Amino acid sequence: MVPLEQLHLNHVLQTVSALESVILRSFGPEGGQVLFTRDTGQVMLSRSGKRILTALHLDHPLARMVVRCVWKHSTITGDGSKTFVLLLASLLRIIHATASKETHMFQSHNSTKAAEAATARHLADKLLEFALTELDKFIVLNVLPHGFCVSLENFTAKTQHNLSFQTLLVSFFHTRLGYAYCDFFRNLFCELLSHWKVKDDQPSFSIHLLNNSFPALHTQVSGVPVSCSRLIEGQVIHRDFATPCPQVRKQPLKAAVFNGYLQPKLLTTGDVLELRCGDKVTEDRGIVHFSSWTERSVESIIATLQSFGVSVLLCALKQSTAVLAAATQAGMCLVECVSEEEISLFTQLSGVTPISDCRRIHPEHIATLTFCKPLLLGAHRCVHLDFHDCEERLKVKPCSLVICAPSEGQADQHACAFQDAFRMLLTALEPMHKTQKKTIPSEECTSLHADNISNEAACRVHLHQKCVIETGCVISAGGTFEFLLHHALHQYGHSCSVSVNTSAVSQLLAKALLSVPRQIYSHNLKHFLQAQTRVMALIPRQPNALSTNLIHTEGPLADGKLSLCSCNKGNMSLKLLDLGLESVSCKYQLVLAVLQCLTNLLRMNMLLRTHTILHTKSHNSLNAHSESSEDEDED
Amino acid sequence: MALNGDEEDFEWEPPTEAEMKVIQARRERQDKISKLMGDYLLKGYKMLGDCCEVCGTVLLQDRQQKNYCVSCQELDSDIDKDNPALNPQAALSQVRERQLAAQVLAAAPELNGGPTSSLASVLVPQPRPEHCEGAAAGGRALLPPPAVASPPPPNTTLQPVLEEAEEAVLTKLRWATTQLQSSASLEASIQLCSLISSCANSLRSLRELSQ
Repeated sequence: MVPLEQLHLNHVLQTVSALESVILRSFGPEGGQVLFTRDTGQVMLSRSGKRILTALHLDHPLARMVVRCVWKHSTITGDGSKTFVLLLASLLRIIHATASKETHMFQSHNSTKAAEAATARHLADKLLEFALTELDKFIVLNVLPHGFCVSLENFTAKTQHNLSFQTLLVSFFHTRLGYAYCDFFRNLFCELLSHWKVKDDQPSFSIHLLNNSFPALHTQVSGVPVSCSRLIEGQVIHRDFATPCPQVRKQPLKAAVFNGYLQPKLLTTGDVLELRCGDKVTEDRGIVHFSSWTERSVESIIATLQSFGVSVLLCALKQSTAVLAAATQAGMCLVECVSEEEISLFTQLSGVTPISDCRRIHPEHIATLTFCKPLLLGAHRCVHLDFHDCEERLKVKPCSLVICAPSEGQADQHACAFQDAFRMLLTALEPMHKTQKKTIPSEECTSLHADNISNEAACRVHLHQKCVIETGCVISAGGTFEFLLHHALHQYGHSCSVSVNTSAVSQLLAKALLSVPRQIYSHNLKHFLQAQTRVMALIPRQPNALSTNLIHTEGPLADGKLSLCSCNKGNMSLKLLDLGLESVSCKYQLVLAVLQCLTNLLRMNMLLRTHTILHTKSHNSLNAHSESSEDEDED
Repeated sequence: MALNGDEEDFEWEPPTEAEMKVIQARRERQDKISKLMGDYLLKGYKMLGDCCEVCGTVLLQDRQQKNYCVSCQELDSDIDKDNPALNPQAALSQVRERQLAAQVLAAAPELNGGPTSSLASVLVPQPRPEHCEGAAAGGRALLPPPAVASPPPPNTTLQPVLEEAEEAVLTKLRWATTQLQSSASLEASIQLCSLISSCANSLRSLRELSQ
């Protein structure tokens, strides 16, 4: 085993191809699920590329790097991890084939392998540059006109926008959870969104809130049919009461949150306790006196809380038996070891701050609850509470999600799908470009609409369109995005106004993009050709037709954005809805992320072996996600 | 599809049909390797950071910490198919090559001689693939097919092939013996013994052929 090893293009290709073959059978609407089992009997069921890849045992640094890129991408967009690997593998293959043909460019290198690697690197850099500067132009011109807009303004009504929003959700849940429950979960999701929607505010704010606090907002219950999944009002704390909870309670209740220990923890190893009496350190007062002093201080804290009328205590840490006894005596319910996310959600919803110094308890630390009672969910008892006047204060009706499934693995799968749905929506509603200072050069306008009288109007619309890339654009699934973009890049590559380099790069990208729909229809080539024909039929033959389509835009919406609606009205749009929808913004981010990962992969050319394992924090966080559920069970 | 404008140094020509076949075969082999690796990864094997010394494929490690190379241990080797001792087709093609060379050599002096001697040189019968199978089986440790009785062939073209085959079988026999001495598991010993017996059978059939 040599300490230093040269990385060749073959190694990279082989590693990524192995990862591709892992996810290939789960890809597409007819993809299967992967069942992972541990020796402990724990089972994980998944169709999500991120979970499948992070569950593999990989020691190869390149493979780990690719999985990390997939994980990071999926954490932001929530979807597209299998497409990521597929696109990456096909790009690598094409670059490998091109590099082995064109190594004459770098003849100064010692060996053909080094020359190949240099060519590949050069190609990848050029691809990334092309994508960062020009890809959005192609998407706006060639893909967006065939899409729809979704918005969250009022997603329960049955307008065209809302139908698209619902279909987007259904297709997402279909790819993750299968055909049986996608409608059910779509309804549950919309109900959850409508409860949490902050009135008179940006809808994406509530999705951000839900995304960040989702671990605290849902409970997984196994052993119950899926249709029992529901929303319950208020918040559920996934711990049981540590002290007996008296049945009869007068409403409303008061609660306080503690970050630390009510009784200061006595000696741990390495502590030195200095007991003073006055100014002198004295031997007379011993540890017994100290512990009795701490117990008295606990009693005084409880007395202070009683004076405020507090009857529920939520603690982040495990409290000592003296504290539990004092709380029981005072008739207070105490919940200990509440997780950080639940505490932060509680403080957000109730508007109080947690108590860190037990001697200073003020009214702003006291929360008001409508009720606080134990709740049996599946096999676990939890604490169920609701906040007083939350709706008036925060304009939000808080509710918690109970996800039921026959087994733990399935419940986990459903919960992950929900979380990823939030992320996907956030990415879909994000504008594709933050800064839009570009203006379209006049010659481009004239080339598009040569004989058109309404040239200026079209150009102006075109300019508007570029200046504010509308959010929430979706397109029909099944490879439509890839077909349209492939066609556009292919035409661009063949047009005479581009340089040889750019033409080569755009043709390369066009060819790689086709691998995605080819894999979607891999079981039947006829369907692939049919899909391609159907999508190509959407593209207008004349550039003038495109400009007239551009003019058919709606007026500005209430928030001042220009929205571009589907140009193919009537039957065609309904047919396309049947295939499901996917977000254009997610796809664009995916392509960029793949190209960046590709550039990083090809920049590496050496493997250094170390004697110690260099597992960084980031690697541990990948594994910790899968193992944290184990730890919770042990508790 | 050139990236660089000036190509005076190098002219790229499209690959010939033979090269295309080689490229295609290599690509299919790589696809098979990826598919097998993916299957093993899903079964819980670990992908190591090392490569196999023989073929350069990424190594996998199973739960018992044993390293496993997908291409060496599962797929037929890429280069072994050109080795006449291990592949009957390769042996056949080598024999035909030598016949062709012998014919050319014989034809040159025959141009001066009569037609009868040229007929004699043409009557060299082709060695049948079964003979080569026997030799290849000895090298691959498969169950040997029964040795086929052959018509008495002339020794000029068959002899070098038989010698090579014998040499290969003897090498394998030697290797199997050393492995057997150091083997610790029952299964491996049984397999090595069967390999030795098939090598012995092959040697016997080769010796019969050369007589």
